[in-house]
Amino acid sequence: MRKVSTWEVLFVPLFFLLILYPILAILGNITLEGMVRTFNDPIFWDAVKNTLVTAFFAALLSVLMALGFAYFYIFHPGTIIYRIADFMNDLPIALPHTVAGLALLLAFGRNMFGFAGPTGLAFTLLAVVLAMFFVSYPLAARTIASSAEEIDREMISVARTLGDSPPQAYRRVVIPLLGEAIFSGFVLGFSRSISEFAAVIMFGGNVPGMTQVLASYVFTKVEEGEVSMAVTASAFCILISLLLVLFLRLEGKLHARSEKSA
Amino acid sequence: MLEAKNLHKSFGSHHVLKGVSLEVKPGEIQVLIGLNGSGKTTLQRILTGILEPDEGKVSIGGKDVTSSLPEDRLLGYVPQNTGLFRHLTVRDNILYSLKNGRGSEESFREAVELLDLESYLDWRPTQLSGGYKSRVALARALASSPRAMLLDEPISEVDRAKKEYVLPLFRQILLQLHIPVLYITHDPWEAGEIGTSYSIMRNGVVEGIASPEEAFSVIRQQARDSGE
Repeated sequence: MRKVSTWEVLFVPLFFLLILYPILAILGNITLEGMVRTFNDPIFWDAVKNTLVTAFFAALLSVLMALGFAYFYIFHPGTIIYRIADFMNDLPIALPHTVAGLALLLAFGRNMFGFAGPTGLAFTLLAVVLAMFFVSYPLAARTIASSAEEIDREMISVARTLGDSPPQAYRRVVIPLLGEAIFSGFVLGFSRSISEFAAVIMFGGNVPGMTQVLASYVFTKVEEGEVSMAVTASAFCILISLLLVLFLRLEGKLHARSEKSA
Repeated sequence: MLEAKNLHKSFGSHHVLKGVSLEVKPGEIQVLIGLNGSGKTTLQRILTGILEPDEGKVSIGGKDVTSSLPEDRLLGYVPQNTGLFRHLTVRDNILYSLKNGRGSEESFREAVELLDLESYLDWRPTQLSGGYKSRVALARALASSPRAMLLDEPISEVDRAKKEYVLPLFRQILLQLHIPVLYITHDPWEAGEIGTSYSIMRNGVVEGIASPEEAFSVIRQQARDSGE
């Protein structure tokens, strides 16, 4: 009989207790009444729309910025700009997201951006996008830069000797080879954006139908004592997250298969 | 003429190139036999323009290119692992420089014909054998109508039996170009098969030698000295 190790004894029950059980607790508390009320609530659908649209633009901006970071990584790794950008990539991971939200509020709120409106950029959908971007960009940057690291530098050298300037070599050689990483960076950035709460609520606010996203909708419903609606909205979030994870896994498998057949 | 004069390069306290000079004339295939750790990669990077020397001068076709960017040197370059663009077909690899105004449809057709690549134009580099990969890499460099060529162990991924066929083909084509060709290798046998003149690089300097056999004795001596 196979001997069971201490790691297995520790891992399996703790995994079920701490990871799966809370998810199941949400799913187990879904009620028909909660579903009917939530799905008939136009504010819920506004929050869904806001979440998907702002997360899409935050992920898009994250990927574009990550491609800029990867450009510095490939062509100017010794510069001070690259070093600062590389160091700062880890900061949003370690920073409490309320602090990130406050930082954005002070930087783009009415104090500095009063000309843009009574609250500056704060409490608008653009603020939601910027808050999501602030926390999702490092993930996209890490994903794309680590893939750029694997690209054979001789390819870039050859492209240069064939007449490409660095931006041309980046566009014609590097970006096409980063295709899968760009896609993964986008999906990861999108997932991270959807899950963001603290920075969004600090900078974007929680105005129902205006800047409220799914995460803040759930929070509001719990505060209002509408637990059945909060549970339904949470289950909806879990469904979106599971679809994203499945999407990433499927894409990873397809890529591995195409690499193998090549 | 491809010329390097008194090149020096250091990384921190490590003095890699200690006054490298070489001269390759049009129609000459000079083989540089580089021993391990001799600084040949640094020299290659300086000749292609990826690195700038601390001191010294590089000129191609009589033009000082020491501070020129790689894209302005008109140097055909074939690296060790061929550096083929794996997202492009063989055709698009060879045509790559045309978008930058280098070479022509005619130089493309000529390179394809010389290296017998007609049937592989729609293939991807990943579908090719090592020998054909190096042919495509050479064709890509030739199609850009270079003023000089630098080949850095271009057939290191090819097995010996195939090298015996590929090397004479490469030699014939390179001689036909009548431009200076610098061919870097660590294999004296390969040097003998392709070169018209020879030099050896060790400890950051380049010395002219009469034949690849001379390189053999230097390598043997170095192996004895290092106790290998």
